[in-house]
Amino acid sequence: MNQTTNAPLPDDEARRLQVLIDLDLLDSPPDERFDRITRLAARLFDVPTALVSLLDAERQWFKSRVGMPLSETPRTASFCAHAILQDEVMVVVDACQDPRFANSPMVKGEHAVRFYAGSPIEVGDGVRIGTLCIVDRVPREFGHEERTLLRDLAGIVANEVAALELKAMAERERRSASAVQALLEHLPDGVLLFDGGGNIVSCNPAAERMFGAPCQALAGLPGATLIGMQPAVVARHEGAGRRLDGGAFAAEVSIAAMTLEGEQHLVATVRDIAWHRAEQERVRAANLRRHDFFRTASHELRTPMASILGFSELLLKREFDAATGRELIDIIHRQATRLVGLVNQMLDLARIDAGGSAQMHPVPLDLADVVARVGAAIEDAAEAGRIVVQAAPGLAPVVADPLRVQQALANVVANALAYSAPGSKVEIGIAAEARNGRAGVAVTVADRGVGMTPDQQRQVYDAFWRAGALPDVPGNGLGMTIVREVVAVHCGLVEIVSNPGDGTRVTLWLPLESRLADAEAAR
Amino acid sequence: MTRRILVVDDQPDLRLLIRLSLRALGEVAQAASADAALAQLAVSKPDLLVLDIWLGEGVSGLQLCRKLKDDPAMAGMKIMLLSACGQQSDVAAGLAAGADHYMVKPFSPEALLEAAVGLLNG
Repeated sequence: MNQTTNAPLPDDEARRLQVLIDLDLLDSPPDERFDRITRLAARLFDVPTALVSLLDAERQWFKSRVGMPLSETPRTASFCAHAILQDEVMVVVDACQDPRFANSPMVKGEHAVRFYAGSPIEVGDGVRIGTLCIVDRVPREFGHEERTLLRDLAGIVANEVAALELKAMAERERRSASAVQALLEHLPDGVLLFDGGGNIVSCNPAAERMFGAPCQALAGLPGATLIGMQPAVVARHEGAGRRLDGGAFAAEVSIAAMTLEGEQHLVATVRDIAWHRAEQERVRAANLRRHDFFRTASHELRTPMASILGFSELLLKREFDAATGRELIDIIHRQATRLVGLVNQMLDLARIDAGGSAQMHPVPLDLADVVARVGAAIEDAAEAGRIVVQAAPGLAPVVADPLRVQQALANVVANALAYSAPGSKVEIGIAAEARNGRAGVAVTVADRGVGMTPDQQRQVYDAFWRAGALPDVPGNGLGMTIVREVVAVHCGLVEIVSNPGDGTRVTLWLPLESRLADAEAAR
Repeated sequence: MTRRILVVDDQPDLRLLIRLSLRALGEVAQAASADAALAQLAVSKPDLLVLDIWLGEGVSGLQLCRKLKDDPAMAGMKIMLLSACGQQSDVAAGLAAGADHYMVKPFSPEALLEAAVGLLNG
C-alpha cells in the first residue's frame, strides 16, 4: 500500500467550517496567548514540535507552532484531520507501524513524524476547529496522565478562543450600538420614547429641535402635551405638534409599542409636515385653477362656434337677400377670426404654464427695443400714433425671452389703447429700478382711460375675465393672464396703479439677473 | 295665433341668430341682460323665454330662470335655457332651476326651432 488513508469528514463539516471562518482566526498574525501554550507543551512533553492546528477545508493552518517551519500543510496528509474525529486524545505511538500514516509524506519525508498526540479544540456547541498536538521524530509511549495533561492544555486553547470570540462580539455590539445611536442622533424625524403611562422618557436631537427644548426638559412630561394625543399605537396620524414655547406645527405621528428591560414602552416618530400640507394645498389650488380654466375655456370656445355653426347652417338652408347674406357671412368671418385668436392665446398660455422656464429662450434684451417693436406691430397708424415713449439713457439689458416679453408688453399696450379715449396719449416709460433690493428695468404703460376699481384690479389676471365697463372692446380676457405668466417665469413683477375714471398705470419689472422660474412655483 | 318669444343673450350675434332661427314662429323680442329682460317681462309675458345662462356680470340666466318659475305671474311661460356649458351636471342644474328645456351651444338652428315648436305646442 503506497497511499495514505485520508480521514473521513466530520458529520458537521459544513457547520464546523462556518464556525472556523466566523472566528476569524485563519491567517491571523501570531498571538502570544497561543504561543505560550505550544511552548509550554513542547517543554512539558519534551518534544521538538507542538502546534495549534486549525483544520480548514483543504489545509491545516497553524495558529501557533513550535519546531515547525511550515505555516500550513495539506489536509490530506494531516494527522489532526483524524484527531478531530474522536473525543479522546489521539495518540500515534509509531507512525511507521500505523497503516493510516505509514506511507504519509509526513512520515517518510524530511519532517519524519514518528510520534503524534493530538487533543481536539472544542468551541461552542461541540464544534472541533482543530487540535493542540505534539510531534516527535522518534516513537514514544504516551500514558494516561500525559493524555490528561494534553487535554487540559487543549481546553486552555479552547478558552482562549472563546475569550477572543467574546471580545469580538462585545466590539461588534459596541459598534452596532454606536451606529444606532448615530442613526437616532441624525434622523431628521423626531423620536420620542414614552413609558407605559405615556410620559416622555427620552428623545433624539430632532425632537429637541422640533419641540424647542432639551431632552432633560422634555423628560417626564405627558406625551399629550407635545403631540396633542394620549400616546397609543397609531400609524401616520396627522395632528398638531406643540412646542414648549406654545408654537404649533402640523405633525405626522406614528407610534409603536415596545418592551424595554421587561417594561412596556411606546416609541413615536414625529414628522413636521407643514411643508407637505402647504404643498398639498398648492397642488389642490392649481388643480382647481386648471379645472376652472378649462371650464371657462370650453365656454369661450363654444360661444364663437355657436355663431359660426348657426349662421352657416342658416345660409345653407334658408334664402336671404344679398345684403343680409353678406352680413351673416361677415359675422361668421369675425367669429372665426376671434376663435383663432382665442386658440392661439390659449396655446401660448398652455405652453408657458406647462413648460415654465424650459420653454423660454432668454437672451440679453434691451427693453427699449422691445417697446419699439411693440409700437411698430400696431397696424392702425392712428392708434400707433397715440404712443409716447420715454426711455432713460444707458439702460442695462435684462436677460429674458424676447418674444414672450414682447407679447406681454403688447397685451398691456393693447389694453391701454382699448380702455382709453381715441386720440388720448398712452405714455410708456422705461427706467432702471430696483425691487426688493434687486436691480432691474421697469416698463410703465400709463393711459388716461376709464381706470379700474380695486376689485377689477384683482380680477384682471383671471383667465377670460374682461372689464365690464366697455363691452364693445374686442378681446378674449387672456391678455393679462399671459402677462402675469410671462413675468412670473422671469421672476419679475407686474404692478397696477389705477382709479376708476383716472387712467391706469401698469408696470412690468424684470430683474437684470434673471433666474427663470417655474411658472407654477412662482405664483 | 301669433306666438311671442323673448330672447335674452349678452352676445348680439347670438341674439340675431336666435331671432332668425325662430322668426317663423311669431314675434321675437330681445334683451341683452337679466335686468332688461325683467323690464320687458313686467310689461308683457311671452309664450317662450330663450335664456342664456352666462349673461356677464350680474344676475345669471340660471338665477333668473328660478325666479321666474317661482313667480305666479309668469305661470305658463316656457323657458328654454341656452348654455355653452354642456356637462351633465350643468344640464341637471338647469333643469333643477325649473327650465323646460336645456340647449347646449353650439346648436343647430333647425334643432332650436324644433325644440321651440315642441315647447310652444306642449
